[in-house]
Amino acid sequence: MKKSSILGLIVIAVAIAVIISLYSSTSTYGSFSDAKKTESELHIVGHLDKQKELHYDAAKDANYFSFYVKDNKGEECKVVFTGTKPQDFERSEQIVLTGQMVGTDFHASEILMKCPSKYTPDKIETTEIKAKSANI
Amino acid sequence: MDKVFQGEHLLPGHLGQAFVVISFGAALLSTISYYFATTSTNKLDNSWLKMARWAFYANSVAIIGVCACLFYILYNHYFEYHYAWSYTSRSLPVYFIVSGFWNGQEGGFLLFLFWQAVLGNILIWRAKSWEKPVMTVVSLSQLWLASMILGINFLGSRIGSSPFLLLRHAIEAPIFSQPNYLSFIKDGQGMNPLLQNYWMIIHPPTLFLGLASIVVPFAYAVAGLWQKRYKEWVSQAIPYALFAGMILGTGVVMGSLWAYESLSFGGFWAWDPVENASVFPWLIILGGLHVLIVYKNTGHSYFTATLLVLLSFVAVLYTSFLSRSGILGETSVHSFTDLGMFWQLVSYIIMFLVIAVFFLIVRWKEMPITKKDEDTYSREFWMFVGAIFLGLSCFHLVLVTSIPVWNAMFGTKVAPPTDLKGHYNIIQGSFAMVITFLTGFTQFLKYKKTDVTRFFITTALYLLFAFLITALIVYATGLYKLHFVFMLVMLGSIYSILANGKVLADAIKGKFKLAGSAVAHIGFGLMLVGALIAAGTMGVVSKNEKGTIAISGFDRSSGVNDARDNVMIYKNEPVKMGDYTVTYLGDSVATPKRFFKVDYKQFSADGKITDEFVLKPHVLLNLQGAEPSPVPDTKHFLLHDLYTHVTALPIVKEPQGASAEDDAHGANDDKNYDPPITHDIAIGDTIRFREGYIVLRGLSKEAKVQNIPLTDSDVAIGAKLEVVSNGKTYQAEPVYMIKSKNVFDFARTVDDAGLKLRFVKVIPAKNQVEISVYQQPENKKPWIVMRALDFPYINFLWSGTVIMIIGFLLSIFRRNKELKTV
Repeated sequence: MKKSSILGLIVIAVAIAVIISLYSSTSTYGSFSDAKKTESELHIVGHLDKQKELHYDAAKDANYFSFYVKDNKGEECKVVFTGTKPQDFERSEQIVLTGQMVGTDFHASEILMKCPSKYTPDKIETTEIKAKSANI
Repeated sequence: MDKVFQGEHLLPGHLGQAFVVISFGAALLSTISYYFATTSTNKLDNSWLKMARWAFYANSVAIIGVCACLFYILYNHYFEYHYAWSYTSRSLPVYFIVSGFWNGQEGGFLLFLFWQAVLGNILIWRAKSWEKPVMTVVSLSQLWLASMILGINFLGSRIGSSPFLLLRHAIEAPIFSQPNYLSFIKDGQGMNPLLQNYWMIIHPPTLFLGLASIVVPFAYAVAGLWQKRYKEWVSQAIPYALFAGMILGTGVVMGSLWAYESLSFGGFWAWDPVENASVFPWLIILGGLHVLIVYKNTGHSYFTATLLVLLSFVAVLYTSFLSRSGILGETSVHSFTDLGMFWQLVSYIIMFLVIAVFFLIVRWKEMPITKKDEDTYSREFWMFVGAIFLGLSCFHLVLVTSIPVWNAMFGTKVAPPTDLKGHYNIIQGSFAMVITFLTGFTQFLKYKKTDVTRFFITTALYLLFAFLITALIVYATGLYKLHFVFMLVMLGSIYSILANGKVLADAIKGKFKLAGSAVAHIGFGLMLVGALIAAGTMGVVSKNEKGTIAISGFDRSSGVNDARDNVMIYKNEPVKMGDYTVTYLGDSVATPKRFFKVDYKQFSADGKITDEFVLKPHVLLNLQGAEPSPVPDTKHFLLHDLYTHVTALPIVKEPQGASAEDDAHGANDDKNYDPPITHDIAIGDTIRFREGYIVLRGLSKEAKVQNIPLTDSDVAIGAKLEVVSNGKTYQAEPVYMIKSKNVFDFARTVDDAGLKLRFVKVIPAKNQVEISVYQQPENKKPWIVMRALDFPYINFLWSGTVIMIIGFLLSIFRRNKELKTV
């Protein structure tokens, strides 16, 4: 067999190995009810319930932050994050959590938020501007 | 529509837009002319070439015009333009207005256009007989890019997004119906504070130059196939491929330096999709470069070389698509949102992919592909294997990073692996291991044929050396705690450094032209050594509990990252963290930054201070209601870095203490303190409190209270108190006063010690006075929550990068000297 064919086979083998390793480690986007059924980690897309309390008390534990998230199916769950409150957390429009259920709480190992960033906005601060224009 | 608005400056915008259209038209003309110049059979007729050149010059001038107009608008704060309003504000210093220029997507395209125009002009000057076909490709790419900033409607759909869009056209709001709306828009939105960093002035232009310069080897490959000059294009393309590899590599590392210096995720690489995307073209062009050299020296690997060079530019376009189309939405923190150019970006990729595939198929039979196999013990064979593995490494990165793309294409809903960083670290680490071993032992092989016994002896000898050194490093740095793959990467890197060190030593003795690749490989090896130790054995200084902490993504067992690495510290209360005694000294505001002084001390066994330094991490105060964003501060030592940032702050309350000079009794701040404890003391007596003690040094009969004149019948006595708290001494003098037969007392606060002291009464009988001590409860005292990380040997990463750049430069000089352009 030619060396180039052997190499070709190796390349194909590595490529397949890469695909399989990715395939076996990919996770799914789910809901809290899915999370309760499984013990593995998964991603949950949802949004912050702004009515409920965000708990972070540095004096008690500087590495404990809890909040409530409503997933895309409308189910709500308490989420615990080991760490501090991410910046502008209250302003987030959408949250992607990675983690698993521990008891009745969802323990997030990672939080990714989508904010209505004021730096890529297309909303003018109308309140302020309107108030001023009323004075003319 | 034709309403006149007051105060608008429309001229620079109209002018700029005219330049945009000219640049597009000129690129179109240039492409067509170059095409006909290339295909023209009449060798004497230069008219197409002349026209093509003039069109390209016009395109270049127009792009400079666009840049000048945009900069003029930003510099003069013309907020009637959406771009100026969105990305700048009046308070921005000029050097950040420069970086505001490429804050938006349109600015990014402009940078790309600008560099591609510069490269085009260099090619016109230097490419000689290659100019026509090569410039056809470059002009075509320029045409597509120019369309991205057109911002005009064509057949009902908008093409491109113009940087000269007016605010009132970009946003719908009632105020734009008023002719004087501009007088209400006093300031722009300003720049994201995290981008207000000096690296952001230099990183984007470097990165874009790197991306743009890949078009040149691509254009040469296409030209070579098109003009059937199959062999000649290779040596022409090598210096440009080296240049692209050097600049793109530099740009990527600069981005990583920026993240390390000014972002607070605590590291230099996060495997974010946008970061990964910038590496795709780099890996492919590096692979391509190696096989180009193989082909030049031996005639082998022609197809692979051509394929990789062609793919590298397609990868550039794919990178641009990933970060700009908004498709990464749920997986990336810093991709742009869609500007409505999704399909336009896709068309750019497809256009160049089609060109690449077309020529590969049409010329398949004529390509100089060798039928003979390379010798197993030849340098060319293993360089070829290395290029393939660089390609595979890129394949894996593309596969995982593109998960949202697969979801969009196949309608699936697959999420990335939960331990994404671990996944990348292990698999990319495995590729890095293979590649470093290859860059090592391939140095002992010669082109064509090598003496096998000698090769095995040298290889084994160096491997033994590398093994010993690696064992030492692994033991000293604690790398053995990590997955075994990382130890193998370390072995490979050390091996590569040693092997290339030998080549370098030989090069210095005589064969100096070989120095370039040796230096670049040593640099690459050092980068990996630095990155591996720094990221893998990063230490959390600010931990509450003892014991080892799992570093997410490197640990053997993946899982929830339970690193409890945030610590709350009160002002002036030293806390022991690792080898340091850390004290939060206070803060100061220099708008828009609020600095926190954090003092680090190290003590020797006998209690002497051996080292002391102050770090000033800060937060950027945002004006528009956003929370302050933390920016770390790092103390750089030769062998490690100490990185500190603030992760939480007390919620801002009333202005701190207000120094409370003359706080008459009754000023209602008692609620900020615990209930008072009263002490009857004589001069020289001591009062103890939680964090120290107070001594009554004496009484002053001439106490004065600001703004309160005293008559002869009035009495004012001050109690001279010395407060010692956490090893620091403060003076306080609360005052007791009888004025107009009424008794008053004036409390004094010692903010740093969290105390308020009142002189309540005089007890003449016992020769004592009564002092009330109010102490702040723990949680009312100023505090910060901070995180301190220690990055060992990170300087290997940065110095390795510099060494690699030097290696690239040496190679460029060498390859350029070899080149005889016809």
